[in-house]
Amino acid sequence: MDQEFSEEIQAYLDMLTEAKLRQGLSPQEARRNALVELGGVEQVEERVREIRMGRFIETVWRDVRTGVRALVHSPVFTVVTVLSLALGIGANTAIFSVVNGLLLRPLPYPESEQLVDVWHTPPQQSFPGLDRFSVSPANYLDWKAQSTAFEQIAVYTPTGLSLSTSNDPLPLIGAVVSADFFSVLRSNAILGRTFTPDEERPGRDQVVVIGHGLWQRAFGANSNIIGQTVTLNSRSFTVVGIMPAGFEFPREAELWVPLAWDDNERQVRSDHNYLVIARLKQNVSLQQAKAEMNTISSRLEQQYPEENTGWGAVVIPLREDLVGDIRTALLVLFCAVGFVLLIACANVANLMLARGANRRKEIAVRIALGAGRARLVRQLLTESVLLAVTGGLLGLLLAAWGSKMLVQLGSLPNSGEIGIDTWALGFTLLVSFGAGIIIGIVPALQFTRTSVSETLKQGSGRTGGSPIKQHTRKALVISEVALSLVLLIGAGLMIRSFWKLQNVNPGFDTGNALTMSIVLTPIRYAEPHQRLAFVDRAIEQIHAVPGVVSVGTTTKIPLTGGGSTQPFSIEGRPTGSIAEQPMAQTRYISPDYFRAIGIPLRQGRFFSDHDRDNSVPVVIISEAMARRFWPGENPIGKRLTPTFHIEQGAREIVGVVGDVKATGLDADASAMMYLPYRQAALPFISFVVRTSSNPESLVQPVSKAIYSIDKEQALTNVQTMDQVLRKSLSGQRFNMTLLLNFAGVALMLAAVGVYGVMNYTVTLRRRELGIRMALGAEKMDVLRLVLGQGLTLTLIGVGAGLISAYALTRLMASLLYGVTATDYLTFGSVSAVLIAVGLAASYIPARRATKVNPTIALRAE
Amino acid sequence: MAKRQVDLLQGTLDLLVLKSLALGPLHGLAVSNRIEQITKGTFKVKPGSLFPSLHRMEEAGWLQSSWGESENNRRAKFYRLTAAGRRQLDAETQDWQRISLAITTALKAT
Repeated sequence: MDQEFSEEIQAYLDMLTEAKLRQGLSPQEARRNALVELGGVEQVEERVREIRMGRFIETVWRDVRTGVRALVHSPVFTVVTVLSLALGIGANTAIFSVVNGLLLRPLPYPESEQLVDVWHTPPQQSFPGLDRFSVSPANYLDWKAQSTAFEQIAVYTPTGLSLSTSNDPLPLIGAVVSADFFSVLRSNAILGRTFTPDEERPGRDQVVVIGHGLWQRAFGANSNIIGQTVTLNSRSFTVVGIMPAGFEFPREAELWVPLAWDDNERQVRSDHNYLVIARLKQNVSLQQAKAEMNTISSRLEQQYPEENTGWGAVVIPLREDLVGDIRTALLVLFCAVGFVLLIACANVANLMLARGANRRKEIAVRIALGAGRARLVRQLLTESVLLAVTGGLLGLLLAAWGSKMLVQLGSLPNSGEIGIDTWALGFTLLVSFGAGIIIGIVPALQFTRTSVSETLKQGSGRTGGSPIKQHTRKALVISEVALSLVLLIGAGLMIRSFWKLQNVNPGFDTGNALTMSIVLTPIRYAEPHQRLAFVDRAIEQIHAVPGVVSVGTTTKIPLTGGGSTQPFSIEGRPTGSIAEQPMAQTRYISPDYFRAIGIPLRQGRFFSDHDRDNSVPVVIISEAMARRFWPGENPIGKRLTPTFHIEQGAREIVGVVGDVKATGLDADASAMMYLPYRQAALPFISFVVRTSSNPESLVQPVSKAIYSIDKEQALTNVQTMDQVLRKSLSGQRFNMTLLLNFAGVALMLAAVGVYGVMNYTVTLRRRELGIRMALGAEKMDVLRLVLGQGLTLTLIGVGAGLISAYALTRLMASLLYGVTATDYLTFGSVSAVLIAVGLAASYIPARRATKVNPTIALRAE
Repeated sequence: MAKRQVDLLQGTLDLLVLKSLALGPLHGLAVSNRIEQITKGTFKVKPGSLFPSLHRMEEAGWLQSSWGESENNRRAKFYRLTAAGRRQLDAETQDWQRISLAITTALKAT
């Protein structure tokens, strides 16, 4: 418009100048006079613009006022509509804020899109299904030396650290990091400094960088802390720096200490314990980096076939790695809430149509009085947008609460980034406007199409809705039914998987058991006999606690993720290189472990106190391992050599125990070997305490018993076995709970939709029904007639829903366990539920129809 | 006081613009010339008030505009009365006649 007005005024100026020329003025004079007369192009443009804008705002304002008045006039309609939209929009905003925080927003590190994780890919015959694996020191150093794709590359490993305090030690999550770790992330200390390269040398590495949260929590945000010493894992460290708030890498880390490999450690190639993060060079693509890492890997395979055969490398963007499996779940949930909102919109549109029946006269009068159709559509849309925006604002409150719930319920990573921010606000506004237009456009177009004379002629009693409108209403209800069927099937599949998971036998007794872990530091427990002494005393102390039935130790509690795996060779069978050897999960346990956790013995015997470092080396294997490596044979008495303990020679298999789900309920039982801790004392100790009553009441006394031996080693992961089990299902529970809720809301909305349209149909057909009854139709016939119509609507919806669900649920296949994405049982039973609900929703209007009094219905005309 | 004067002038200007367009579409400069001509030079409308008036009345739906060729083959924007504009002109003319009659009578009264 501005452009056009500029042209207009230019044309005016030219013509005025020409006129002056004709009056005999010189060209310059004519131009100047014309400009003077115009009195400033800018001012004129400004005034015209004001007029145009003012008009626009005034019309919108008038529409808004009329809209508000109309809505206030029908409070029930308004409240119902606003609430259902608030629910729909609020749920969308909540999920959006999570999706935005996790998937869309850049990570809180500068130029984070260039950050990548570099992983090993393990040989598939040893690690079937595993697509990434941690890195060994020597391989990392070769990667660092040979790669050119990365600007910087750093190595780290998360670790538990105990901070000594005047009371019990504080268990903290920290990381051991190479000196350039912080510069890869382009993050610097806000106070003090990060690490220098010479602090990567053993002996110089007793320095620590502290996270902002810990600094505030444990040190009162005192800046004098820099230069002071703290005791971590019984070693004293000098605090050199404080990181800014929000720096929390790796996940939940609160302090960082330097990684100092000695010359021996730098040579280790087969101990995979480290994670690698790197920053791609500006002009290097992910593909190029991958290609280069492939080249380096195959070179290393040839160079070190013994350790590296089959080990590749993969480069993954940091965000993808951090978000991981949550992505699919979030996208599925986002689709689900989108559906809920669509259903809510369809319902509201239907309500608007029903309400429009009453307003048709008002609109017809306005058309007759000369109101333009576009103007009326605009007015009606203003009204629906008003409804949606009010719903959206209310939904925002819901979302603020909801996103907190989601973070809690899902224990999501990066949770500081999730919340209602400008983006979420913008999204809500956008969705609200969209919803407003969706719910308003169909009714608006229909009302304004109505024939004026027809409507005005009609009395208020006879409501002969035009056939088109009935079609629209039915189509809306059918899509509601279809959409909610898709949601219900999604939820049904999740419930079935969850149910199956919960009924998976984990292989041990999950009731009345307490678990906790501790890491014995090399400062006090460098020698195996020191560790053994600690474990023996701890078991003794815990046993003395009243209520304790039995105590066992292992190196990893089942279902808490990960666990160590090692290659082994079987006596009498050909032994290849390490890379070719079969792998098995390995645990180091105390004799009572199986009794304490409740893993059954299948064959042979458990360990006893007589299995010591000077007795015959022994091993117990799991059923899965026995089946896999000794099919049809008795493994008892056979001998195998775990490669990490090759110096002790071959071990005799003395027992076979039941399988456990070591890494997750949805994982297959893996081959597992157990070694007696007296023959291989590792510093990682997890206690399993079987109790006679509620294990939670024993947390205090058991912790006390352990701290009485050493109060500088913090206990971590203190939880009951039941909590362990629950936690391992938290992801599935999160997805299921949300989907179930969304599906529930959808079902309710669809039921309301069916009810509404059937109710309206009965109102419209009163006369016809009256005639039928006057002609002798029984109440049952009428009931059947109306129910049949409701059933038809529902069935069409179910049909459409089944087709869409068949296409859509395969997107969530990776979230399912034990059911296929097109599980016919779920599809069938959910359809049955929906049909039943549809029938129930039509029953009330059908009952009303049977109460139609023929005389009154006919006289009403 | 000053505001009332402006209001009055604005109303008058709108009436004169409507009147000048009563015979057919005109572009901006022609409207200005026509007003000068039909008021025998009493009013000379400057673009600073002419254009706001034209656009205001277009927004109100009394005028419609379109691009065309001027008498000297220049591209110019022409304004035309709409049906609503014609009704407005009639209404305002009647109003004006009543007001001017009343004021004249009032001023003659002793």
